[in-house]
Amino acid sequence: MATENPRAKARRTWSVFADRRRVPSEYEIVTQDLNWTARKQRTSALEANPASPSNQWFLTYRDRSPLKVEDWSGFIDPAEMTYRKYVSQQDEQETMVAGILEEYQKAGQDRRLTAAWRNVLLTLFTATRFPVHAAQMCHAYLGQMAPNSYITNAATFAAADQLRRVTVVAYRTRELQLAFPDEGFATQERAIWETEPDWQATRKAWELALMAYDWGECFTAVNLVLRPVLDDILLRQFGLAARANGDEQSWLLLGNLDADAKYNRAWSVALGRFAIDRRPENGAVLQHWIDRWLPRAEAAAAGLARMLERLPDTGRPADQTVAEALAAQRTVLTDIGLSPAP
Amino acid sequence: MTRMQREEWQDIVRDVDWAFAYADDEAVFPEWQSGTGSVPREAWKDWEEGYKITYPEYVAVQREKETSVFAVKAALQRSKVFDDLDEGWKSTAKAHFGATSLIEYIGMIGELRMARFGLNGGWRNMAVMGALDEIRHAQISLAFAHEFVPKDPQYDWALKAYQTNNWAIIAARRLLDGITCDANVVDVAIQLPLIFETGFTNLQFVGMAADALASGDINFANMISSIQTDEARHAQQGGPTIEILMKHDPARAQWVADKMFWLTGRVFAILTGPAMDYYTPLAHRKQSYKEFMEEWIITQYMRTLNDYGLKKPWYWDQFLENLETTHHALHLGVWFTRPTVWWKPQAGVSRAERAWLNQKYPHWEELYGEYWDVITHNINRGEMASTLPETLPWICNTCQLPICTHTSSPDGKWRVRNFAHTHDGRQHHFCSDVCRTIWQEDHDTLHMKTMVERLLAGDVQPPDIPGLLGYMGITPDVAGDDAYGYKWAAEYLPGKAAE
Repeated sequence: MATENPRAKARRTWSVFADRRRVPSEYEIVTQDLNWTARKQRTSALEANPASPSNQWFLTYRDRSPLKVEDWSGFIDPAEMTYRKYVSQQDEQETMVAGILEEYQKAGQDRRLTAAWRNVLLTLFTATRFPVHAAQMCHAYLGQMAPNSYITNAATFAAADQLRRVTVVAYRTRELQLAFPDEGFATQERAIWETEPDWQATRKAWELALMAYDWGECFTAVNLVLRPVLDDILLRQFGLAARANGDEQSWLLLGNLDADAKYNRAWSVALGRFAIDRRPENGAVLQHWIDRWLPRAEAAAAGLARMLERLPDTGRPADQTVAEALAAQRTVLTDIGLSPAP
Repeated sequence: MTRMQREEWQDIVRDVDWAFAYADDEAVFPEWQSGTGSVPREAWKDWEEGYKITYPEYVAVQREKETSVFAVKAALQRSKVFDDLDEGWKSTAKAHFGATSLIEYIGMIGELRMARFGLNGGWRNMAVMGALDEIRHAQISLAFAHEFVPKDPQYDWALKAYQTNNWAIIAARRLLDGITCDANVVDVAIQLPLIFETGFTNLQFVGMAADALASGDINFANMISSIQTDEARHAQQGGPTIEILMKHDPARAQWVADKMFWLTGRVFAILTGPAMDYYTPLAHRKQSYKEFMEEWIITQYMRTLNDYGLKKPWYWDQFLENLETTHHALHLGVWFTRPTVWWKPQAGVSRAERAWLNQKYPHWEELYGEYWDVITHNINRGEMASTLPETLPWICNTCQLPICTHTSSPDGKWRVRNFAHTHDGRQHHFCSDVCRTIWQEDHDTLHMKTMVERLLAGDVQPPDIPGLLGYMGITPDVAGDDAYGYKWAAEYLPGKAAE
């Protein structure tokens, strides 16, 4: 068994890429085949009793998911995100956030916010740490259950981005509490999230999403339906409302966070397209879940839109808010190659 | 005014739990995933990590680390450091890359499970950063190993190893799947951060960093030291979890810790033991494996037990005794079955090396000298077939490693024993009574076919060594051989007196 002539066929890269004509990118070199529970030649996901609860869970919610393709390794995150790129990019974004926070703090901007807008911030901005954390949990779930490391990594960076968003929200929550100690900041958000009637459809959607255990359904519900609708309202449209109500700081911060949401949409669209390209039947699979989740997202959007119309001095028309949010979600579906319902 | 300090606001990031109205708590946090057991649900409110960090701090610190590690890598890329490295040391690096790169990633899956099913918001947040860390470790290891693939195809196994059914990989997967995925997240928080990371990675990462530096492999030392700086943070998830468990269910805490300390010790004995006591060039060895275990693992673990009020594991004396034997037996097995591994085991039994072994391990000559004498003799007579395996050794049903450890007996003899157990009319075999006890307790999850049972069941075709190598994914360009091409045996040729 001597290895006398190892240079006879010197490799330039991993043997898994041997049949490829092009040189793999740095992203592919460090992303390919990382999750051994999804390897070929396995009797079960884990090296354990095939009947163990964990093996059954992987079998039920991943390996037997109706969303399937022969090999998910062809999926590429358009941003080709690696860890090194991620921390570098997000550190730069955090420097910008820090700059915004410091500038507005120095200028004492919070003191100029109207009472009505402060209530909007409490109800529709600082309270978002709960639904955003729910999204973080869902992405963490998608990451652990995804059938391939290209998907897992993208989902994990998405989970981290949601932690980033909660972090920005939390920092502002404390600032607002310090400026207005008696207005419920940092103390009332949970009650608002749990009892405000116009939040309940959103809350219901997230609580149900946490139980969407099929990895494909989790992906569809959260990445293709809930987040496109809710991010459009709570990041983009809320930012516009903030600006219209003299709160440029929120507009800037949410604009910064919206870049993360765009990244999430981009790879989610790419994954949806890939699934359908590789196996056209996946179109119907995705559509089935979209049909289940879209009404939940619509109900959530309606509640948020009512608050965004009712609460600020200069409200946004609820119809417009809902229409734009649903249009944003329809764009996702069109980009994937699905035809959205009229 | 500058930004507020972390302490002034981070509690809000952690305050993200609410009561479900549209879903059952049990459906969102299923018991077998979340694993509260007999701990009241309310008790998890007190979970608090000892080491706090915010998202902006995290990305800033990690970006710096990445920049620095890759800067050193780039600087060394053009140097000839790699070409001058000793083959024995390279084997350490190759075994390490193959065995650990993707362990980081299954660790990541474990972190994501805690990030989803952990019963406290602060815990779930911390696990997200733990998951990021583990992506880093997998990617950094692969980036470093990939560079060497054109020079040596065995480095290909940094990525390939865990895609295969190699016997050593099956044992490692068995351990890590059990630590990260085949248990509820409360147990995972003890098994992964507390036992595996706090308890053992010091061995591989601190110990190997020292040996790497001594062997001139600055790049490797640089990489694994940087990885280790992350462990200190995310390993903190174990402490608060076991504190809560000790308050409400100390017997469970004790069992989980005992079980995983033993099983992890088995795998490190085969990964780190031979690397430290046989592969690393004699002149560069800092400590023996046993000394390192005593200084770093045992002292540290005793402190951990003390800190949380745990007792010593029931098998403690046996564990200490095994430090004299287990890794020597496993090394002998690995060297003998060298075509089945993706590195070149360095036999490490030249006269000088044997003298060192006997000095470090008083029973070495008595237990292992004779085997190596026979092997050396066969090499020197050119009877290489006698130094190679014709089949596999019997494998333990729990740890999936060969049954080969000498244990002492009351009559003063050391014996390799089989610990058998009949379950459902079938005999199972174990390397030790500890592995047998663990199987008896946890066989619902542990019950699976060993490599040998697969061979006997006809899963491996043809059922011979070439068939086994094919089953294990070993290709001729990768199959291991003696690191020095058996040159070390020449000093035992008749006429060559001991110096």
